[in-house]
Amino acid sequence: MSQLENLASPRADYAYAFLDPFAKRELRRRMLKAIAIPGYQVPYASRELPIARGWGTGGLQVTLSLVGPESIVKVIDQGADDSVNAANLRRFITRMSGASTTTDTLQATILQSRHRIPEEVMRDGQALVLQVPDPEPLRAVQSDSSKAHQMHADTDYSQMWLVLYEQLVRYKQYLQGASYPSLVNGRYLISPSPIPRWDTPKLHQAAHLTILSAGREKRMYAVPPYTDVYPLEFSDVPFQVEDQRGWIDTVTGALRGARGKFMDEIPQPDGTSRYGISDTGYLEKLIAQMRAASGADAAQNQVGATYYDDEGNFYKHGYLKPPVRPD
Amino acid sequence: MYVAAKGGEAAIQASEALFSALKGKPTRELVTAIQDTLPYLVDRVMGEASLYAPELASLAIAQSGGDLYEAVLLLRAYRSTQPRLAYAVPVAPESLLTVRRISAAFKDIPGGQVLGPSLDYSHRILNTEILDSEPHPVPERASHREAPTDDSGDQAHPPTPSPDGDGAVAASASYPLVAEWQRRAGLLAATPEHAPREPADIPDVTRDPALFPAPREHRLQALARADTGGVLALGYASMRGYGLIHPTVNELRLAHAEIEVKHPVTGVTFSAGRARVSQAEVVTTGDKTGLSLGFAATLGWNEVKLIAAATLDIEMNQSEPHPAHTEEFVMYHTEPVEASGFCIHFKLPHYVTFASSLDNLRKVISTFYSSDQDNETSADRAELEPITQRTP
Repeated sequence: MSQLENLASPRADYAYAFLDPFAKRELRRRMLKAIAIPGYQVPYASRELPIARGWGTGGLQVTLSLVGPESIVKVIDQGADDSVNAANLRRFITRMSGASTTTDTLQATILQSRHRIPEEVMRDGQALVLQVPDPEPLRAVQSDSSKAHQMHADTDYSQMWLVLYEQLVRYKQYLQGASYPSLVNGRYLISPSPIPRWDTPKLHQAAHLTILSAGREKRMYAVPPYTDVYPLEFSDVPFQVEDQRGWIDTVTGALRGARGKFMDEIPQPDGTSRYGISDTGYLEKLIAQMRAASGADAAQNQVGATYYDDEGNFYKHGYLKPPVRPD
Repeated sequence: MYVAAKGGEAAIQASEALFSALKGKPTRELVTAIQDTLPYLVDRVMGEASLYAPELASLAIAQSGGDLYEAVLLLRAYRSTQPRLAYAVPVAPESLLTVRRISAAFKDIPGGQVLGPSLDYSHRILNTEILDSEPHPVPERASHREAPTDDSGDQAHPPTPSPDGDGAVAASASYPLVAEWQRRAGLLAATPEHAPREPADIPDVTRDPALFPAPREHRLQALARADTGGVLALGYASMRGYGLIHPTVNELRLAHAEIEVKHPVTGVTFSAGRARVSQAEVVTTGDKTGLSLGFAATLGWNEVKLIAAATLDIEMNQSEPHPAHTEEFVMYHTEPVEASGFCIHFKLPHYVTFASSLDNLRKVISTFYSSDQDNETSADRAELEPITQRTP
C-alpha cells in the first residue's frame, strides 16, 4: 500500500452535507454578517440544490452549512413534521449529513421551518431557520430593488405606514395576513417570512437565533438572540394576531395546554369545519402526556412552556395589546 | 447563401435536407417512443396547440427535432384541416377521473389530498447509473390502457392507484370541489347561473376577432392554449411582486375527462374517448365580499402553466393591474404561434425597409454634421437624441 493512498480520503460521490466546502464557508460568513447587522438583507450566491427552487432551498442551504453529525434536526412545513414537504427535506438533510432528527422542538439543535414558529418556547443555543419566498418587505410598494435598497439605507418606511393607513381607512383594520412587516432592532424592516401574525411576536427578545434565507432571491437576514422585533403598528391601533378563540383541537381539546394554540381549519364534507393544533410535534407530546396520565404509557418528553397560555395570553406580558378599531 | 433565397426551391430543399441530416430521420418507432416516454412534453404541445392527439403531437415533436414552437405550429396547422363535426357535452369537474388533486389552502380537504403522480418531492439528482447500463430495446409500453374506447393511445399515465395486495385501497375516481365547501361557508360567491346555450353560440377565441374586455370564454380559451413559458413569465412577475394579489392554490387537479358527444342522428350520448386534462383554481383574499377565485384548465397535464394562468385570471380582474397583467397584454403576448412566428419573422429580409430608414438617418446626419454646418460642435452631437423608428 503506497503512502499516497493511505493519505487520500476515500472517494465520495458528494461532499459532506451536499454543498462544497467553499459554498459552506461563504454561507457561514454571510450568516455572521446577517447576525452582526440584525434585519439587514445580506446577498449570497445561493447554489442550486436537488430540490425545486422556491421550495425551501434558501433555508436548506443554511441548514446544510450548519449541520454536523451531532446535530438534531427538526423540519416542519406549516407546523407539521409529517407533511410531504417536511418529510422530503428531512430525508435529504439526514441522507447528506448523517444528523439525527426529532419532532420535539426542545430537543432540536437546528429547526428548519416553512411558515411557522413552534408553540413551545425555544431556548438559548437553538437555531431556527426560516424559509423565505420574498425577503423584501418593501416589494409591494417599490418593485425596483435598487430603490428599495436605498429606502432601507435611509430607514425610509413611510410608504409602508401609508399602506397600513389605507387599510385602516378602507377596512377598519390592518389587512396584512402572514409575513407581517416588522422592525428589527429599531433599524431594519423585515418580512418575517410567511409566518402567521400569531408567530411574529415570538421573534421579539427570543433566546434562540433566527436565520431567514431566500434561495431564489439570494438574500439572507437574521434576528439574533435577545433582539427587539416589533410589528409595524400605529400607537392607537395595535397589531393583532389571528383570532381563533373558540377553535378547539378535536383530539386533545379538553387537555391543559391544548387551547390558545395556532389551529388548522379542516373543511368537512358536511360543510362544517374541525380544528387541529398546527404544531404536530407539540400535539404529539400532548397526546403522549394524556396517555401517560391514564397509565397507558410511560411519560414521554415533557411538554415545555409555550409562548401562549390556554387563554391565548402571550408570555411577554404587555407586548400584545387588546384590539382597538378606528371609527 | 442567405440571399440565394431569391433562387427559391433548390435553396429551401437543401436547407431542409441539412436540418434533417443533423437530427436523424423521424421514424414510426421514434414517434411511438416519444408518445410512451415523454407524456409531459406531448401534453405541453397538445395544450398549446389545443388539439388532443397524442400520436400526432409526438409526430410533430419528432418531425421538428424537438423545437417546441415548430411542433405546436405543425399541430395547429393540422388542426386547421379538421372539420368541426360536433360539440362535446360540458365536462363537470366533479366527474373528472382524478389521479391527483391537492389543495394548499387547507391541511386536509373533503375527499382527501391525493398526491398522485408527481416529481414534486423527489431529489433532483441525475441518475448517471443509467448512462453506464447496457443499451436496451425500445421501452415497454406502459401496461395500463384504462380508456378502452380511446384509440389515440392514452396509456402513458397510469390511472388511479389500484390495490396491490398489501392492503392498499384504490383512491376514489372522482372528488368533490374544495370551492364548493367555501361556497357553503359563505367565503366564495355562488357560481353564476347561466341560461342553457347552444354550444355553437359559445364565443370561440380561435374564430372570433379579439375585443377587449374579452368575453370570459375567450380569456379561458386563450389561457388554455397559451405558451407555457409566456404564461409562467407573466404569472411569476405577478407572484414575485409586480402583482396586486397573493395566490393560494385552492385546488389543482390532474385527471382523465370522459369526452361525451351526442350522436347527430340518434341523439344518444356516447363516449368518444378520454383525454388527459388538468385544472387549477387559485384564491386570494383582499376583497370585502369574500375570496376571489381564478381558474384555468387545459388539455394535457401542465401544472406550472395552470397555476400561473389561474393567478393571471385573478390579476386581470383587478381594477388597476400592472400593465403586464392586463387582459390585452396577457392574451396577445402568450399566444405561442403568433409570438414565436413574429419573433422569427425578423429573420426575413428587411433590406427595403432598412434602406428607407437608412435614408432618413443619412439625411439627419448630413443636416447636423456636414462640413458646411461648422457652427455645430461635437458637444451638440453628443446630445442628439437617438433616432429610433419602427419598421413594419
